[in-house]
Amino acid sequence: MYDFTIIGAGIVGSLIARELSKYDLKVCVLEKENDVANVQTRANSAIVHSGHDPKHGTLKARLSVEGNKLYEDLEKELHISLLRTGAFVCAKDKDEVNDMKKLYENALLNQVKDMEFLSIEEARVLEPNLNPSIKKVLSLPTTKVCFPWEVAFFALENAIKNGVELHRNALVTEITHTNHMFTIKTKDNQTYQTKHVINAAGVYTDEIATLINPNIPYQIKPRKGEYYVLDKSVKGYMEHVIYPMPSKKGKGVLITPQVHGNILLGPTSEWVSDKDDISTSLKGLHYIKEHIKDMAINVPYHLIIRQFAGVRSTSTYEDFYIQEDDAVKGFYHVAGVDSPGITAAPAIAKYLVDEVIKLSLPVKHTFNPILQKKIVYKDLSKQEKDELHQDKPLYGRIICKCEDITEQEIIDAIHGPLGSDTIKGVKKRARAGSGLCQGGYCESLVLRIIARETHKPLHEVNYDQKETQILDKESKVGS
Amino acid sequence: MKDKQLICIMCPVGCHLTINEDLVVDGNKCPRGKVYATEEMICPKRILTTTVKTDSKDFPRLSVKTNKPIEKTLLFEALEKLNHITVKKNVKIGDVIVKHILNTDVDIIATKSLVRE
Amino acid sequence: MKQSYDITIIGAGAAGLSAALEAYDDTLDILIIEREKNFGGILNQCIHNGFGLHVFKEELTGPEYAQKLIDLVMEKQIDYLLDTTVLNISKDEVFSIKATNITSGEFIIESKSVILTTGCYERARGHVDIPGDRPKGIMTAGSAQRYLNIDGYLVGKKVFILGSGDIGLIMARRMTLEGATVLGVAELMPYSNGLTRNIVQCLNDFDIPLYLSHTIKEVVGKEKLEKVIIQQVDENRQFIENTEKTFEVDTLLLSIGLIPDVKLFESLSIDTDPLTKSALVNQKLETSVKGLYACGNALHVHDLVDDVTIESRKAGKYAKAYVINQKDIDKKQVPIRFDHHIRYVVPQVVDYHLIDEPFDVLFRATQKHDVLKLVIKQGDQVIRKKTLKYVVPAEMQKVQIKPEDLINDLPIEIMVEEV
Repeated sequence: MYDFTIIGAGIVGSLIARELSKYDLKVCVLEKENDVANVQTRANSAIVHSGHDPKHGTLKARLSVEGNKLYEDLEKELHISLLRTGAFVCAKDKDEVNDMKKLYENALLNQVKDMEFLSIEEARVLEPNLNPSIKKVLSLPTTKVCFPWEVAFFALENAIKNGVELHRNALVTEITHTNHMFTIKTKDNQTYQTKHVINAAGVYTDEIATLINPNIPYQIKPRKGEYYVLDKSVKGYMEHVIYPMPSKKGKGVLITPQVHGNILLGPTSEWVSDKDDISTSLKGLHYIKEHIKDMAINVPYHLIIRQFAGVRSTSTYEDFYIQEDDAVKGFYHVAGVDSPGITAAPAIAKYLVDEVIKLSLPVKHTFNPILQKKIVYKDLSKQEKDELHQDKPLYGRIICKCEDITEQEIIDAIHGPLGSDTIKGVKKRARAGSGLCQGGYCESLVLRIIARETHKPLHEVNYDQKETQILDKESKVGS
Repeated sequence: MKDKQLICIMCPVGCHLTINEDLVVDGNKCPRGKVYATEEMICPKRILTTTVKTDSKDFPRLSVKTNKPIEKTLLFEALEKLNHITVKKNVKIGDVIVKHILNTDVDIIATKSLVRE
Repeated sequence: MKQSYDITIIGAGAAGLSAALEAYDDTLDILIIEREKNFGGILNQCIHNGFGLHVFKEELTGPEYAQKLIDLVMEKQIDYLLDTTVLNISKDEVFSIKATNITSGEFIIESKSVILTTGCYERARGHVDIPGDRPKGIMTAGSAQRYLNIDGYLVGKKVFILGSGDIGLIMARRMTLEGATVLGVAELMPYSNGLTRNIVQCLNDFDIPLYLSHTIKEVVGKEKLEKVIIQQVDENRQFIENTEKTFEVDTLLLSIGLIPDVKLFESLSIDTDPLTKSALVNQKLETSVKGLYACGNALHVHDLVDDVTIESRKAGKYAKAYVINQKDIDKKQVPIRFDHHIRYVVPQVVDYHLIDEPFDVLFRATQKHDVLKLVIKQGDQVIRKKTLKYVVPAEMQKVQIKPEDLINDLPIEIMVEEV
């Protein structure tokens, strides 16, 4: 019997797991995918917003400002990557300049620190590629960029080291509540009994919730965002996160430097009926280019290496819905976590545990908030490299030549409590295949390493989900 | 036999040729086109390049080719024969892997040396 | 192995091996560094024939062509490091090459001259806009070629190919021979980007249709590829309504272009050419950094490996000359100019202080011409005329310039006379 079962191992579920792992509780996380951080956390802008934009008084406003601060702690404790970019909000005409004043007032109420207005000339000293026709700029120095996959991985890995259990490929199909106890059934025919359920299922929170209560006050309406990724050689083109003025449709199309040197352009914002729709479209990609024009010049489109799309779990409730179910006690909703969800995630976890669940237990003495820093071999000093190489010679062999990822780092990505035996999983953990050639060179090498390390034939190695093998069958075996 | 439309590959010009059942060639800009079309009409042949299995873990396939062009109609039959071959010894480039495949005068030869671990 | 060399060649494919052979001199220390465990580079997976007619006067497969070069390198006992990746190059007095391998970890090699022959990479889905779902089953033709010819695995049963580049055509035949069904090839342009002999022997031989002026409208399939929808485009590359065709396939191979792999240039600030996406070189294949040479597909993409060898021999020869008579000659570099009929030229500049023998200017046309009349000028004066027949963008052209052709120090201009 678990004390808490968290449904969903995205960034929110993972940070909640870590928050609960402080206490002497039996906690498990159920993830429908074969990997953590695989849906919403996988495809977004990665921005830790300053909290300027959500309307004052909302949970979104409060938790994004708090979350922004908590990222500093995550950096110290989990060694996550955090890029202190700051941000520029750009007003392109007179109306927008007026709106920008209101945005500033709202941000002041939200207690966003160190903001200032800049003229376009002042802004262009710092960002020469800003469009000179911009009328005014609001600088938000507290804006940062994280690597959301990594935040989720590291938080969950830390939680696992502190006693939390993770079950992957565990799609919840049934929840029953009897005698203050929940019984959860999953598609892989497992049964979990738990005293409390935390529903952090992202775009599927409404469907999970209706398994136990048909009358929930929110519905998830998925909104798709498409992006372009520019190669890391673009580094320096733009150092700040560049926002247009927000509109009803959201924060608009942004220019966002990433922690590994890439730049994201996007997202679009489009209501979709299918929660799993991550298709990209010519229309969407064209829309990005059209909107980037207003903000930037000399856009290095020739360095595009990828397009992707993500679905955000916008809810009809409009604010984050983080509450205990009205009818079913012990069932907690963490719903409608769309933008600024990444930003708020650490604060959502704390808010849920401290103010909604109101857990008042002592922190267990064995809890260790520190996660050992992951080895990124290329970032080490010569001496550190030599020491590691002495012990593990495979640090000497490069597999992904675009990102300089060694064979040992790929092996590390495959093994361990949060390891993965898929091409995509290795890419998420070790970045093999994220570079300029997009895996054209290293994919077949990674595939062989996975096969060797997991003792599988080559044609059983999956690209991503189950049954997505890259190789079909051996040649020369006849028909 | 019907008329056959061909693109000549004897040089970069790439003449569009027509050849009829009486082997009259049209569209060629030089005599080589006529020879090409005639061969294509009577008995087209191709160099076959493919692989065969090996028992090596590091080099599971060995690249091979026919030592001369083989009749086009025999390509798939020859490939089927090669599916049943596994090279279990070291070979040098040029070594014969299958002599007189399908009772033709064509041999399958290694295009790579194989040194097994 | 030494820590300091006269010439270091990065890459042991056709370009690297050819450059090494030409640079060889028993008074010089030469090193070849290769990231794979074997020599030969991409030739190892190009098991088809059609190589070597110019260089070796016989028709060879890729592995055979490579072996001929490897045997010659072995004979000369040139130093080499396999399974070793170069991480970056810097230059002070001499070049400092940071490399890594299993045996030594990270280490530095010093070299007076460097020849970069790191080949090219294939454009992938991310480099172009291919709209639709994002399933598995979409990969470059070269990846599928490696899986099939080296690892011995087919990537799918029903295949569609985007792009008529040679690798895609070769793979259409290769996968057909191995039992897969290739349903078609779509090419955005109104002409093929592959060699005619590949269209004839890889597609026509197996009745595989080639859809010119067509591209992908949408790929469909959540986790696995299910179908590909193509559509015809007009001369402005806009979709033409009601021309969609749907193919139910499990694999989409991309053969949409090759880009020189120039990652190692990043740590040296060299002049580059946006048209070739690689280094800008003079007629000696020297980059803007003295002593640094580039050749083969790392410099620009070639149609034939024979051309790679011919070009790389020059790089080897000039690197050797640079090391032997290392004396400072002032540069007098002027660009080679060309009009819109030409997509790019290599070399991009001519150094008039270094002209001592004829050199080739290689170029690609922007479109098809039955007859292309070239006029080569310096200033107002015509220095040469040349007529080329049956010019297509897929086939590289060349024009030779002799020292005596040049009458002044003005830029060479290659113009096309409208016919």
